[in-house]
Amino acid sequence: MSSAASSRRRTVGTLAALALVAGAATACSSSSAAKSSSSSAASGTYTVWDPYPQFDNGSAWVKLLTKCGTDAGVTVKVTAYDTTDLTSKALLAAQQGNAPDVLIVDNPVVSTLADAGVLTDTGTTKIDTSAAEPNLLAAGQLNGKTYGVPIGANTLALYYNKTILQAAGVDPASIKDWDSLNAALAKVKAAGKKGITFSAIGTEEGSFQFLPWFWGAKADLTKLDSPQAVDALSLWTTWLKNGYAPNSVINDTQTTSWQEFAAGDTAFSENGTWQLANANKAGFPFGIIPIPAKDGGTAPAPTGGEFVTVPVQSDTGRYATSEKLVACLTNADNAFTTDTTLSYVAAADAVQTKQVAADAELGTWVQAVHAAKGRTSDNLGTKYPKISEQMWTAVQAALSGSANPAGALGTAQKSVSSAG
Amino acid sequence: MPAQGTVRTARTVRTAPAARIGQVGKRSRSRNRTRGKTVIGVLLTAVMLFPVYWMINESLTRDQDMRKSPPSWFPLHGTLAGYSAVLHDQLPYLGTSLIVGLATVALTLVVSAPAGYSLAKLRPRGGAALSFVLLVAQMIPGIIMAMGFYAILLNTHLINTLPGLVVADSTLAVPFGVLVFTAFMSGIPEELMQAARTDGAGPLRTFWSIVLPVSRNALVTVSLFTFLWAWSDFIFASTLDSGGGRQPITLGIYHYIGNNNQQWNAVMATAVVASVPATVLLVLAQRYVAAGMTTGAVKD
Amino acid sequence: MVRSTSTRFARPSSSQWAAWAFLTPVTAYLALFYAYPLYKNIDLSLRNYTVGSFVHGGATFAGFGNYTKVFHDPTFSPALLHTIVFTVASLVFQFTIGLALAVFFHQHFRLSATLRALFLVPWLLPLIVSASTWAWMLNSDSGVVNYGLHLLGVAPVDWLTSPHWSLVSVIIANIWIGIPFNLVLLYSGLQSIPEALYEAAAIDGATPWQQFRRITFPMLRPVSAITLLLGWVYTLKVFDIIWIMTKGGPVDSSTTFATWSYRLGFGNLLPKFGPGAAVGNLLVVLALILGLVYIRTQRRAQGA
Repeated sequence: MSSAASSRRRTVGTLAALALVAGAATACSSSSAAKSSSSSAASGTYTVWDPYPQFDNGSAWVKLLTKCGTDAGVTVKVTAYDTTDLTSKALLAAQQGNAPDVLIVDNPVVSTLADAGVLTDTGTTKIDTSAAEPNLLAAGQLNGKTYGVPIGANTLALYYNKTILQAAGVDPASIKDWDSLNAALAKVKAAGKKGITFSAIGTEEGSFQFLPWFWGAKADLTKLDSPQAVDALSLWTTWLKNGYAPNSVINDTQTTSWQEFAAGDTAFSENGTWQLANANKAGFPFGIIPIPAKDGGTAPAPTGGEFVTVPVQSDTGRYATSEKLVACLTNADNAFTTDTTLSYVAAADAVQTKQVAADAELGTWVQAVHAAKGRTSDNLGTKYPKISEQMWTAVQAALSGSANPAGALGTAQKSVSSAG
Repeated sequence: MPAQGTVRTARTVRTAPAARIGQVGKRSRSRNRTRGKTVIGVLLTAVMLFPVYWMINESLTRDQDMRKSPPSWFPLHGTLAGYSAVLHDQLPYLGTSLIVGLATVALTLVVSAPAGYSLAKLRPRGGAALSFVLLVAQMIPGIIMAMGFYAILLNTHLINTLPGLVVADSTLAVPFGVLVFTAFMSGIPEELMQAARTDGAGPLRTFWSIVLPVSRNALVTVSLFTFLWAWSDFIFASTLDSGGGRQPITLGIYHYIGNNNQQWNAVMATAVVASVPATVLLVLAQRYVAAGMTTGAVKD
Repeated sequence: MVRSTSTRFARPSSSQWAAWAFLTPVTAYLALFYAYPLYKNIDLSLRNYTVGSFVHGGATFAGFGNYTKVFHDPTFSPALLHTIVFTVASLVFQFTIGLALAVFFHQHFRLSATLRALFLVPWLLPLIVSASTWAWMLNSDSGVVNYGLHLLGVAPVDWLTSPHWSLVSVIIANIWIGIPFNLVLLYSGLQSIPEALYEAAAIDGATPWQQFRRITFPMLRPVSAITLLLGWVYTLKVFDIIWIMTKGGPVDSSTTFATWSYRLGFGNLLPKFGPGAAVGNLLVVLALILGLVYIRTQRRAQGA
């Protein structure tokens, strides 16, 4: 009995000690546990939500936001969320009257949030959108009104492994259309290496990666079962069948597909601007070519990147300061710093020039961004999410062998039309 | 304690025949059999923990080797970048997780132990209905609870605070706790309760001085489950504490899962480092968990 | 039960008072924290919620419209089938393996206590980590499982990307995660079976298997019932593992009600809260069915 009691005392003692240590650790470093400036009265604090959980308190991003706040005379509290979560969190918060003052979201969801009445349009908040390129701004426009400003843009291109292509006797400059790309892949496979990786996962990322090929075949999002769309999907299924692309693309995110490329055995990877920093660390020489369209030319790639938006508040007096914060974030100098950190292309022409001047590699990317298209553009707005979901489902069905490309896309279009 | 008594007697009974017979051959054969069982046990544990080994392997792998085909069994070109990131960033999160876990245990015990006692021993009218409601309560999916809690905590100004998160996490464990306590306490012999009653003790005295000490194993079991569930909770932390000054480790991991880039070796390293205190607690607590927590523990 | 008259000062109502006093914390707790979310979810499923009306209110009453939509959705039958298969397969294997391990570790050999504690380590890991680790181990090209199969001369299996194997893969991962729970509960149940019974059986010449069938298994029945019931309720809710490993795909081949509900409400760019809540409620109904079966068998056992 006494041994049990003393061992229980020991356990309690250990637990208490652990708790003390934990308390000390937390107390001493609470300032670095979350991104926040000093706490202050509610009226002087403005909340900013962003999808960059990788940036914590000491990062340049948070410092910039804090400085923009100080310049505007308020304290800024920054909270980061996982980007896939941010839409539902924003909706939930708006429902409860707890929406942030500034909300930075992925561009395809801007229409959804605008449609829900969560966001103010730039007319109300007097945000200046003139510097942003029109094709980039289009993603945030719904029924003639603009609902935010792009913080930067990114898009997709083909990274290639110089060593592998040299060994296989492929000249990257010769890849101008799908036929030449297929020929290159065949040569690479004959030389014993893997062909290409991309992401075909069943989420928006998969749609994002499929769109350059879809648009490159001149297909249209309003008609998922057109012969051109079937061509695009058949391209991917043929690659899988011929072993040019690994089976794991069905489950790969863009990060995972990049990691396969970085392992050094794959010739091509369809990936985005944000991988530039990683590419420089890859350990083999790499190059970039724009994604070829089916019959030649550059395929229009979708625009990635986030928009800076101002959610609706019950106290409309707050918009003036929010506008100042947004303007500060997106002005030329700050945009240059932010976009360099995020590895995005800037939204404004002048800043793009500055970026290319600082880093010539970005030249190809700037070109690609000029040719890029918003996913929710062409007034697709809130129709896009439904189309996108059916599109990635069709891609998964065809790649996993459950249906042939024509059948899969036919089902997809039927679902879109019936949903209305 | 009756429970321990049974075990102790049994163990003496078991070793007695071997000693009584006293044949050296038989004893050494049983020792070999025991060693054989240990080997099998180690093998089984190794198979079960192979994914954990793989996690440690990944935590030491460089980003560019993550998707190497074929994969390497050992991280030959290892990197400690993941661990240095963790030790640099994650300790406050670990501390918060620990505090949240312990506080959740306290709250759960306070709410569920008296309820278990009442349902087991005091025969409340409608007790069966309450048990049923508790069962149904466990069927509600987590995301629905999280959305409901968001509104509740927002209106009580507990959003993004640790007390709010503790209350939410306790909903993971309270119904289970009541179930365990009810099951265990119904096995406490009536003689003990009767003796307390004869001494003039009311229900509260009986609960505090007799029932709780005897239910030590149930207390530890419920505490263990509660702590582990609170420790690994993500959905409540993400919905209710994302903007908080102090966040648990499950949110801390998401620092390495950025919107476009993910640092998986750091994610795995966080999990490894986070498992250490929890494993320590497990090894300490399992002795009590094992010693019998359900009906029949004290019945002969 | 002997009750002396001198102690019977308590009238029945005051003992009820005492009983319910102890139940007050939990009753208040249930009312405060479970009633509201459940009510909100039922409300969500009975109205036509668009994102606009979700935020601003004013959603029209839809009656059972969302439920009809869900029943007629082509995903309904596969999701129902997968939910049942996933839950039953997970439970059967988790329980059997947990029981076998519990019986094995009950034999008190050297290191048995430490090894048993180590078996609980899978439980400590955040689900994102365990699910991701399994996803990586089962990767078609760079996964260690396929590499192991390759060493054994077996062709690689598309664990996560083939519609035939995706459900099997998530079941395997779920079994792995669920074994500790079963092990702990069943082991403590074993501890409460008196050794004297085994001694008597051994003297009567019963083999270990007969001892298991005649003593262990029957005496474990109450613990087994609780373990299976809780396992059913908890496994039905499982969604993290499936979502992280396969997102319910490809083509709904590993979609269960839990993942479908999440996908409808949160997993795409345009949330459909009504149908998502409806599927969530169907999940609660599925869990309830077994709950009622359990209570019925309990009552019959007590009456017998």
